[in-house]
Amino acid sequence: MSRKVKDNLLKAVTYAASAISVIVLASILIYLVDHGLSSINMDLITSNYNAETFNAKVADDYVYSPMEVEDYDGYYSAKWGVAFEDVETVHKTNEISVAYVDSNSPFAHLESLIAGQEGTRQSLENNYVINNLYYNDAEGNQVYLSQGKMESAENLANILENEVTEIVSLNYQSLGGGIKGSIITTLYLILISLTLSLPIGISSAIYLHEYANKNKINSLIRQGIDTLTGIPSIIYGLMGVTVLFPITQLVGATSTSILLGGLTLAIILLPTIIRSTEEALIIVPQSLRDASLSLGATKSQTIFKVVLPCAMNGILTGVLLSIGRVIGESAALVYTTSTVINDYPTILSQGTSLALMIWSIMSGEQPNFELASAISLIILVIVFAINTIVKIIGKHFAKSFS
Amino acid sequence: MEKAFEVKDVNLFYGEKQALKNINLDIYKNKVTAFIGPSGCGKSTFIRCLNRMNDLIEGCKVEGTIIKDGIDIYSSKQDIVDLRTRVGMVFQKPNPFPMSIYDNIAYGPRCQGLKDKKQLDEIVVRSLKQAALYEEVQGNLDASALGLSGGQQQRLCIARCIAMSPEVILMDEPTSALDPISTSKIEDLVLELKKNYTIVIVTHNMQQAARISDITAFFLLGEIVECDKTDIIFSSPNDIRTENYITGRFG
Repeated sequence: MSRKVKDNLLKAVTYAASAISVIVLASILIYLVDHGLSSINMDLITSNYNAETFNAKVADDYVYSPMEVEDYDGYYSAKWGVAFEDVETVHKTNEISVAYVDSNSPFAHLESLIAGQEGTRQSLENNYVINNLYYNDAEGNQVYLSQGKMESAENLANILENEVTEIVSLNYQSLGGGIKGSIITTLYLILISLTLSLPIGISSAIYLHEYANKNKINSLIRQGIDTLTGIPSIIYGLMGVTVLFPITQLVGATSTSILLGGLTLAIILLPTIIRSTEEALIIVPQSLRDASLSLGATKSQTIFKVVLPCAMNGILTGVLLSIGRVIGESAALVYTTSTVINDYPTILSQGTSLALMIWSIMSGEQPNFELASAISLIILVIVFAINTIVKIIGKHFAKSFS
Repeated sequence: MEKAFEVKDVNLFYGEKQALKNINLDIYKNKVTAFIGPSGCGKSTFIRCLNRMNDLIEGCKVEGTIIKDGIDIYSSKQDIVDLRTRVGMVFQKPNPFPMSIYDNIAYGPRCQGLKDKKQLDEIVVRSLKQAALYEEVQGNLDASALGLSGGQQQRLCIARCIAMSPEVILMDEPTSALDPISTSKIEDLVLELKKNYTIVIVTHNMQQAARISDITAFFLLGEIVECDKTDIIFSSPNDIRTENYITGRFG
């Protein structure tokens, strides 16, 4: 084979290899966009995952007044100031959901009938579904309107408009399928893990690079940190649930919790943060340290006034990568935050991060590909954004020392 | 003449390797002392002994005594940070901090705890004037120091050093990275500064040593071969090695 043929062959192989990687990435993107894009909207982000059921009557002090009628979609009942539309939920059922509730509508002035919360003011909201309704007709008879009799949004609006003279009570529910709780959980996890791992990670990087002598113990520490980076995160999860759980019990946790997940993630992040901070410190020219020390600055003044500000971009890169890691982490959280999707997470409650929520909704009896794809798409966009910012910072960083 | 440093029997080791052998030297106040010699002869190593910058190098060990104001600067009595405020240093490559011109010069005084804006302003202007840079950067003090030319950066570093009001300024080949015009500016500056400061300068440029120094020490292989008044060194050196070096026959 001639040298030229060999050369071209090698070139072709590299082309093909790059093409394969691009195709893989593109197909993932296409799959996610195809399945998930239609589910992404503001309701997805702001609503709960679990459906909530309400039982209510029109408030006693409600006085009928003319509707204000703003914009509405679907089929509108002018008399009651409420509009409905037919929707397919993320749980793949067809429902008649509320599209508009006027602020003067009786549906906006409800009082709870649920035992223990009687009298609590509430309102029918957009995207809620009416399960059943008691009303009085023109002859004064009380009629029970079941979901089956509603048939469609158009029919329901007609019944309300033409047959109902007074609304007695109703049972309604939110649709669910939202990811609000998981977003909050993810934010909690980012907050907890970074508040713990940043100071510790940056301090140890400073020790390793600025103070530590080259001796056996320190090279052992360094090697240990490198090894930590390679440990599968599920092992961290195991350690978290056995070793860290007692610590969270001290502050009142009774089960696995977001706090436990955050602590575990903090440990996972440590090696990344130490490493990226150290890389950033290495780039800071020794001549700047010399200059500072020769001006009679102490070592700590040199570190805090000169070295760290110069290394800030690199450290920030590490922080952003860590945030990406927290968003993407799932295995370590299976044991530590549990896989129960929680709409009202607190630090000591269980909950799922976005990534873990995908696992949860796919492992049930009815895997929900659409919702999983939608969440994946959101995660992908966030990670893409973070990587872009990291690149911009990196460029800026390279410029400042050229 | 008053002595700024009294160096007695200094030996310096990098691990096993001996870099300085039996250095004995007096450095006089308000004089320019130049160190010349071929690369690797120990002159930069020695100048870094005078403000203990060698402490930063791992495995570096210094024996002997360097006396400044009656105290051996290598004894435990000497506060290193305090020593460095009195013995400033200008390095081979200009190394301004990536901050504004103002912040660069105010850095040293601020590290000493000076916060008064008025006093800082005064120090910055005075230092820039003394370093002959004020005219060029006037009204532009908030600009980044990295935007200055190499020669300006080096004068900024000298101004930064002056801002500490040191007694001694150590200059480690301060013009080796600069063009001839910037070099001559720095040389003029050195002659101006010697009125108020003791200056020790390492240089590869023998004409420079001849032009600006009062006393010259010739280093070779970690030893001082000869140290005398500059005109004597350059006109009638005692040692044949010195003569060979300054006439360019080796080195």
